[in-house]
Order: sequence, then structure tokens, then C-alpha cells
Amino acid sequence: MTRPVKCLGALALAAACLLGGCAAAGDGPARYQVAMVAKSTETDFWKAVFVGAEAAATEYNLDLSITGPDTEEDYEAQNAMIAQAVQDGAQALVFSAIDYDANAPAIEAAAAQGVHIVVIDSDVNAASVATYIGTDNYLAGRMAAEAALEGVPEGALKVGIVNYDINSANGQARERGAVDTFTASGRSEVVATIHTLAEAESARRDTLDMLRAHPEINVLLAFNEPTSVGAAQAVEELQLGDALWMVGFDSNLVTIDALQTGIVDALVLQNTYEMGYFGVQSAYKLLAGQRSEVERHVDTATRIINRDNLFALDSQKVLFPVS
Amino acid sequence: MSRRAPRTAPLIVALITSVAAVTLAVCVTAFLRGYRTVAVQNARTSSAQAVSQVVGTVSNYVQNLDDTISDVMGEMYAAPGDRDEYLEAWLNARSEVVAVTTYTEAGALQNCWALDHTPRRQVLQNLSFDLAAAQNSPDGYISAPHVESIFAGYYPWVVTVVRPMPAGASFRWVAVDVRFSNIGASISGVGIGQHGYCFLMDDQGNMVYHPQQQLLYAGIKQEDTARLATLAEGTYVEDTIICSIQDVPDSAWRVVGVSFIDETVNESFWQMARIALATAALILAAALLVGWVISHMLSRPLQRLENAMEAFEQDADGFAFQPVAGTREVQELSDSFGHMVGRIQALMTTVREEEVNLRKTELKALQAQINPHFLYNTLDSIAWMCERGKNADAVKMVHALAKLFRISISRGHELIPIEKELQHAEAYLLIQKFRYKNQFTYHFTVDEGCLHCLCNKITLQPIIENAITHGLDLLVEPGHIEIEVCADGSDILFKVSDDGIGMAPEQVAQLLHSEPGDRTGIGIKNVNDRLRIYFGPQYGLSIESVPDEGTTVTIRMPRVPEDREGDYDKTR
Repeated sequence: MTRPVKCLGALALAAACLLGGCAAAGDGPARYQVAMVAKSTETDFWKAVFVGAEAAATEYNLDLSITGPDTEEDYEAQNAMIAQAVQDGAQALVFSAIDYDANAPAIEAAAAQGVHIVVIDSDVNAASVATYIGTDNYLAGRMAAEAALEGVPEGALKVGIVNYDINSANGQARERGAVDTFTASGRSEVVATIHTLAEAESARRDTLDMLRAHPEINVLLAFNEPTSVGAAQAVEELQLGDALWMVGFDSNLVTIDALQTGIVDALVLQNTYEMGYFGVQSAYKLLAGQRSEVERHVDTATRIINRDNLFALDSQKVLFPVS
Repeated sequence: MSRRAPRTAPLIVALITSVAAVTLAVCVTAFLRGYRTVAVQNARTSSAQAVSQVVGTVSNYVQNLDDTISDVMGEMYAAPGDRDEYLEAWLNARSEVVAVTTYTEAGALQNCWALDHTPRRQVLQNLSFDLAAAQNSPDGYISAPHVESIFAGYYPWVVTVVRPMPAGASFRWVAVDVRFSNIGASISGVGIGQHGYCFLMDDQGNMVYHPQQQLLYAGIKQEDTARLATLAEGTYVEDTIICSIQDVPDSAWRVVGVSFIDETVNESFWQMARIALATAALILAAALLVGWVISHMLSRPLQRLENAMEAFEQDADGFAFQPVAGTREVQELSDSFGHMVGRIQALMTTVREEEVNLRKTELKALQAQINPHFLYNTLDSIAWMCERGKNADAVKMVHALAKLFRISISRGHELIPIEKELQHAEAYLLIQKFRYKNQFTYHFTVDEGCLHCLCNKITLQPIIENAITHGLDLLVEPGHIEIEVCADGSDILFKVSDDGIGMAPEQVAQLLHSEPGDRTGIGIKNVNDRLRIYFGPQYGLSIESVPDEGTTVTIRMPRVPEDREGDYDKTR
């Protein structure tokens, strides 16, 4: 009579498993630890990124920590933050590189510990990056230049470029895109290019110097948020609002105000919220084993904001964060 | 042969288990179906409740705002100093109010009250006032959400409440920009299930407040507000989503509650399903166990009884019944069987004894009989001898006849010494030799050691009689009968050979199996039967006969010393 005994045993086992399953279903899985290391924690650009990141963290029930250096040049502080995040048990890192090359070893070291790497906004020279989410910077540069060409429909364009850290891949790509477009137009000339610190005050000073040195400049491009603010302040200071066609990058209360007063004529707006949101979402997907759903390269939308569409509903939604 | 019926034990287990399984399946299905219906109903109800809670809050808020705006409008007629003071205090009290603006008949911005902010000198676009909408709404309107666009460096999201001033005022419309942070917090705080939420929209499909407004604005999340604006109030279950819609009274707004069947219903449903299935599995296991136990209580003893019966069938005599333990039915069955075994065995013994007794009685009757033909013939021969003066022969005959009778009586003994049996045979042969006028000769070859052993009486005579009547009588020439007694191991063999006409095999078979006719006293079959009754089936007669050559009858019996007579003589 061993057969019925075996049957009984199997049944009892099945019942036990079912009951066990019920009991185990009570505890949810532990929350994933995700660390975001940004380039700054001060600018409106990054604040909008953080809002998006936190929305995704809430949506996917993740533990999200956000850090960033005091200045947008301090890649060493960033490397330290990466190491600290890994030490604190981060399972995924959402990262934006200040320096394309100098940040790479720290990222590779983190990846070697099994941490998933998601890069937003600024790429890093590391093979372990699972996905890059950010603006197509070359295209954004082209858009800035095209906006200027549209804004100055006739005559020659004497272009001044206010760019930031020469080691930033983003700034260089934007500049390339802009210069290529200007060159292709046949009526433009880049008169001066400066590389200043990504900080409004130094950008203002350097822009003033440039504008004074090259009074013929009638088109001014600034390639990120702090340099746009500084450049706008310089233009206002020199009262060149009407004479200059200025294109800035990203939104900021100062540049939005300046857009309304005519000092700034167009803004290239990156979808910062999306970067933050998708960055954290990708981190979640990597952690949850949905790697196949994570694309290697995601371009976030870029749009041009000018006085005509500043207060259109779509622009409002992107420009002004809901508090 | 028909298929064998199934065994009881598996049958009972299968029956109980399948009945339990079917019952459980039906019950669990019915229960879970009912549970799911109730759960969906509950989810709808709680969704509707959450929404009406939000509606209440929003309604109160709007009512309250409306009332205070009426107060503000009343204050507009006061002196500018008092009016500004009142508005300042009011703005301080209602932190959600961003700005109060007034507009002329032509829609131009006239006055603006706001804490810490003054409007730009040149406003690019004033989103707080829409002249066309104001002209079309005699009682004023509430705008869709927009950014406050008249200040520098301050762009909060607001909705604008626009009210027309009664005639006589210095301006036509008053607009109040209200931030949604306060009401928003109370809307965000209302959750339905784990991920369910409420949001506020207007009847045009514009989102007024959504807990994840920024996600909507970034285009990451969508709400189908255009369609929701067309639906009537009520609760809709669509696919995996429960959508509850209620209008806020006295306003163009409606509250929509969104909850997910997956988490509100399915999670508890599956939890319940798991519990139900686990319970069902346990009950099933219990049923299986019970079936197993019952079947064993019944089938094991039955199996033992069956084995006992089989053993009884195989060997009824040697069978010793061990009572089978079990339930009362089984015990009763066992007792009955035991009783039956006892009865059958007793009956068998009785039958056997009766059979033996019958045979012996029969035998005795036969032995007691004097074959009248034989006696008559013998007496006739003696008379004839006397007449002829052959007195000596007559005397011999009479002596032989007397010996014959004496030995055949033997004081009632069945077993007599072989010596006597041989004397009996010789007396018979002597008589027959006279009668047949010396037509045959005879000779005894006897192992002296056998003489004092015992044998059944009247064993040889029927054989000799058969040899004479069937073998020699028909011969023309004189025949011969050879009688031999010898030991063969622990047995004794008697051989009676004649050189008569012999017999065909069928005749031999008939001799051994048919009762004798009336002509002779004791037939060959009778001799064979007696030997078997007394000594067992391995003993008895064998006949070898070749037609025209002669017949040899061999009698085998155990060597029975004189002092062992009691072991065999069953008549005593």
C-alpha cells in the first residue's frame, strides 16, 4: 500500500506549498536602492530633473538618493559620490558626467560591483553604461542656430558663442551642431567662442568681455542654463537687447523673464523632467530584470521656446513645474 | 471470461476522493465567483465613496472661495485706502490666492493686488483674463489651469475665478488667481487601493488638478479627459480600471476617481483563491486519508478472509482457521466462516467414517454369503465321490470345504496371517481341482518370512476364481496357476499367474471397476477397494494380461506384523 501513501504525501506537500505561498505573499520584495549623481543640485534644470526622478521613484516604489557637486566642473567630487553611493548599497546609479573621460574609471569601478549604470544628460566614456537618456545635443545645437537664422532673416550673422567646460561632451556637441549649421547657411560667421565656467557670474563677465572685444556680434548663443543666465545679464547690462539675437539653453526664471523683455529671443528647451523620470525608470527596469526593454540610447525631446509660444499651454506645461 | 470487478480499497478511496473533489471544486468555484462579484462591488463602492469625499472637499472649498470673493467684490466700493488694506489682509489670510486683478470693459488690466509682486509694465500675454470668455459668461467663469503670467520671476500654476462687477463699479470684471496647492493636497491624499487616485477636471476636459500633474504635462502619463468629460456621472468598470465620476455641484468641475481592479479586487481575490485552494487541498487530502483508513479497515480483513478461504479450499482437512480481527461486520463474517469451517471439517470426518463403515459392513455381508452355486457344485461333487466309492477324495473335499468356511469366518477378524490366507486359497484350489477334474495344476512359491504377517482375508480366492473361470475354464489343455508371495521392501507382493486365454485391456478395466455379478462371492474390485480402504491409495491390485498368453494379478500391501493388527483393523 505504498502508492496511496505517496499520493497522500504529495497532496500534503502541495497543500503546504499553497499555505506557504499565502504566508510568503504577505511580505513585498525589498525596495531597490537607486542613487542619482547629478552635475549640480542648484540649477532649475537639475531641479526639474529631480522632480521627474522622484516621480518615477514614487511610481516604482524605489529608494532614491540624489547628490551632486557644488560646481559643474568638479568631477572629482562626483567620483567620490559614486563611490559613496556604491558603498551605501546602491543597486543602480543614475549618472550625469561632468567629464566624459575623467568620470569613466569611477563608473567602471561601480559597474564592477554589479551596479547598473544609467546615464542621463551627459554621457561618460564607459562601456558599462546600460542606457543613455538625454538630448541629442548636436541636433539641439543645430536648432539653436536655426532659430538664430530665422530670427535674423537677412544680412550677415556675426555669431558669438558662450560655451562651458571644454571637456563636456554635451557643450561640444551643441557647439558643433550650431557651427555646422551656421557654416552651411553661407551668411554666418562665428566671430568668437568662449569657454567659461558653468556659473552665471563668470559667464556674465566673460560674455561682457567678449561683447566688448567684438562689438560686431549680432547673434549670441549660450549652451547651458548658467551660461545663458550670465550671457542674458551681460546683454541687459550692455543694453544690447534689441541689437542682439540671443539664443539660450534650458529654462530658468531669469531667462524666461528675459525672453519676455526681449533680451533673450529664443530658448532651446530640453525635457529635463523626462530625463529624470526615464533615468530612474530605466534603473528600475534594469533592476527588475527587464533589460530587454531598456534601449541603449534614448533621445528626449527638445523644443524651441520664443515669445510667440511662451504661454501656449504645451509650453507652460514644460516650462513651469507644478509645485 | 468477464472483466474482474475492482478491489474494494481503491474503489472506496477513489469514490470518496472524487466525491470530495467534485464537491470542493463546485464549492470553491461558486465561492470564488461570488467573492469576486462582491469584491468588484466593494471596489466600486469604495471608489465612489472616495470620489464623493473629494467632491465634498472641493465643493466646500469652491463655495468658501466664492463667498469670500463676494466679500472682496463688496469691498471694491470702499475707499481705495480701506480697500487696499482689506485686500492685503485677505491675501495674507488666503495664501492660495496669488493675485486679484480688475479689468475694464475693454479688457484692460486696471488694478492688481498681490503680495510681494507687481505686474510687469509690459505684460506679454495675460493668461488670467479672457475677454471673450468673460463677455460670454454673464455670471463669470472659472478658467482652466494656467501659469500666472503677469509677474516677473513668479510663475505659479493657478486657476482664475472671473466675476462681473455689478453696474456702478469703476471696472467691469474682477479676477482672482488661485493656486491649487491646498485643495491639491487634499485630493492627492485620497487614495483608492494602493495606486488608485482622484483627479479634478473641468467639463471641457482640461485637467484642473492631478496628483501626478507633472507626469501628465511631461507627456509620460495620459488621462483620457476628453472622453471622461462626455460621460455621465457614475462608476464605470473598464477592463482593469474602475472609473468613478462625480460632478462638483455649482461648478464646471468634476472629480474622477481611478482605481485598479488588479490591486483592489484581484489581489484580495487571489489571496482568497489561494486560501480556498489550500483549504480544498487539505480537505481533499483528509478525504483521501479517510477513504484510505476506511478501506483498510474493511479490505484488509476481507483480504485475509479471502486468503483463509482459498487455503481452506486447497486443503480442507489440514486447515486451521485463525479468526480475523476488524470491524463488527468483519468479525461476524470471520466467526461465521470459522463456524462453517468447523462444521465442514466435522462433516467430512463423519462422511469418511461412514463410508468406511459402510464398506466394511458390506464386506462382512459379502463374506458371510455362501455362494450357492459354489456350495451346490461342491456338494454335488462330494455326493458324486461318495457314490463312486471314492471316500478318501470325498473326505478331502469335505475337509477342504470346512477349512474354507472356517478361515473365511476367522472369528470375525479382517486381517489374518498370510499362512491362513494361503491355506484358504489352497482349500479353494483343491475343491476346484476336483470339480474341474484336474484340468489345471497349481503351485505356491512362498517367502517363509512373510507367512506370519497379516493380510486381508479372502484376498487370493477371488483372484484365483477369476483365473479359473476366465482364464483356464475355456482352455482345452490343462492350465497352471502359479501363486507367489514375496517381500518387496516394506511391502508384500502376492502374484497370481495363469497361462489361460488372457484378457483384453477393456476387460481388465471392467474387472477393476465393476461390481461382481451374483456368480462369485467377492469380486476383484472388492478386493482392490478393501486394500485401499485399509492401507491407502498406493496399495491394491494391478493386472497384466496378454490375450492367449495369460494373466498376472499382482497384489501389493504393506508388511503388517501380527502384533500391529490394531493399526489397520478399523472394524474394531
